Amino acid sequence: MARDLRRWVVATLVACGVVAFALLPPRGAAVTRAGLVFAIPQSTPARLRAQALAAEWRAADGAARLLDQRARARSVLSSPETRKLSVTVVLTGPQSIPREAVARVASAMDSSWAALGLGETKIGVLVVIDLAPGTTSGPAQEAPMYLEPDSTNRTTCVALVPGGLYWSRFILGTPGQERERPYFVEWLRASLGPCAFYATYGAPSKTVRRWLTVRQWDIGRFLSTENPVRRAWSSTDMLGDPRYGWYWERIYTFSPSTVACMAGRPAGCRALVLRGGGASDGAGRADSLPRIVRTEPRRWWQAQDLIPGERYLSDVARTVGRERFLGFWGSPLPVDTSLALALRKPVGEWTAEWQHRYTPRLRLGPAAPVTAYALAVTLGVLVLFGAALAAQRRQVR
Amino acid sequence: MRALLAAVAVSLVPATVAAQANRWQRQVQEQLERVSPHARTTKTGVLNLEESEWFAVTLTAGVSYSIIGVCDNDCSSLQLVLATPDRNELVTDRRGENFPVVRFTPAETRDFRVKVVMDACLVSPCWYGVAVVERQ
Repeated sequence: MARDLRRWVVATLVACGVVAFALLPPRGAAVTRAGLVFAIPQSTPARLRAQALAAEWRAADGAARLLDQRARARSVLSSPETRKLSVTVVLTGPQSIPREAVARVASAMDSSWAALGLGETKIGVLVVIDLAPGTTSGPAQEAPMYLEPDSTNRTTCVALVPGGLYWSRFILGTPGQERERPYFVEWLRASLGPCAFYATYGAPSKTVRRWLTVRQWDIGRFLSTENPVRRAWSSTDMLGDPRYGWYWERIYTFSPSTVACMAGRPAGCRALVLRGGGASDGAGRADSLPRIVRTEPRRWWQAQDLIPGERYLSDVARTVGRERFLGFWGSPLPVDTSLALALRKPVGEWTAEWQHRYTPRLRLGPAAPVTAYALAVTLGVLVLFGAALAAQRRQVR
Repeated sequence: MRALLAAVAVSLVPATVAAQANRWQRQVQEQLERVSPHARTTKTGVLNLEESEWFAVTLTAGVSYSIIGVCDNDCSSLQLVLATPDRNELVTDRRGENFPVVRFTPAETRDFRVKVVMDACLVSPCWYGVAVVERQ
C-alpha cells in the first residue's frame, strides 16, 4: 500500500473515532438515582413497611371519622332551621376553642364559598378541621380526606382537613397574623377538594365518577371559577426553570406519555387524561366504588402524570362554561366522548394546548446539540482543507 | 372513641334565615300541592341521575287511582312504574316528561310497589315527589 494512501486511511479512522467519541451516547451503564438530587429518596424495606402500615391506620381512622362526622351533622342539618345550609365547618381539637376562632373561620369560609360563586347548593359540604392534630391517641392525618355523597346521604360531602400547626395557630388566634387571612381563605378553598365540584356541579354521572375514583381525583383537587384566572401556585412551580439541571432531572422521572404531552403531542395528552376512563377501568359498577377519597400526603406533585393535573378539571370547567361542563359532568357517555363534546375539540388536542400554557414545549427527537453541529462543521472544513492541500501538492506544473 | 374535647359547628347562613325546606324541596312541595291537594299518599325523596327508588302503597279494590310524579326544576324526565310486590310491572309512564301519571284500578285490595326513576337531572341530585290520588 502506498504510503500516502495509508496516511489517508489512518486519518479517516481517527476522524471517525473522534466523531464517535463526541456524538455516540454511552451504552450499557446502569441507571443510578444517586445523581438525581430531587428524586424521591428510597427508603429501606422495613421503613417502607412501617410507612404503609401507618398509612393504612390513618386511612381507617380517617374513614371512621368521616362517617362519624356525617352522622353527627345529619342531626344538625336535618332540623328545619339549618336545612338550607350549604357549607358547615366543624372545628375539632383537644382544647377549648375560643368564640373568636369560630367567627374567624366562618368569615373566611364565607369568602371561600362566595369566591366559588356558591350560595345554596344541592349538595352541602361539611368541613371538619382538625386543630393541632397528633395530640390525641389516634394517628395524625397528614392530608385531607373526603367522603363523597352516597345512597345513604346524597346531599352531603364531607372533608376532613388537618389544620397543621400553622393554620391551627392562625385559627386559634395567634396575635399579628391577620395579614395571613387571604392565604387562609385560599387554603380553605383548596381544602374543599372534590367537595367543591359536588357543591358546584352536583353529583357526576356514573361514568365520570368511575373515571375520577380510579384516578383518586388527581385532576380535580382544586376548583377555581375565576375568569380570568389569576396566577396562583401550581405543581409546575415545583418543576423549576429549564435552564437548570434539576428541571431536567424531573423531566427524566416522568412517564413517556407525560413527556409526550409536554412536547405537544396530542396522543400522549389523551392517554394521560383518559387514564381510568375506559370501560374496563373501575372494576365493576360505579355504585361499588369506594366513596372515600384520599390524597397523597407527601410530594403529591411528584406522583402526578398530568402537570399541573390538580387544575385540569377546574380549567376545563372554566373554559367551557357551566352549561357545557354540566353536559359532560352528568353524561352517561364514555368520558372521551362526553369530554370532547364539552371541549368541542379532541381531548388530546385541547389538553396539549392547555399543557403549553403551563410548561414550555419540550423538543423531542434526534436533535443534535449545538456543540455537535460545531464539531461536524469543523471536521468538514478540515477534510476539505486537507483535500485541497493534497490536490495542490499533486498538481503537475 | 376519639377524644374530642371541643367540637364547634360554624353555620354560614344567618340564624334569622329560617325555612322549612331548601329551594328544590319547596319546588316539589308546591307542585304536589297544586296537582293533588287531597292526595291520599305522598312520598318525597331525592335521587341522582339514573337512580331509582321503590316504595310501597296499599290500594283499595274498585277504586280508580292516579299516581302522579313531580320533580324539581333541574329534572326534565321522571318515570313511574306501578308493580306488584314481587316487582312485576303493571302500569308504567316512561314518556320522558317531568310529570308522569299512571292510572290504575285494582281488582283486589293489596299492597303494590311504586318505582321512581330519575331519567334526566341537570344538577344531581334532583328532588321528586309522588302523590297517590283517588279519582272521582
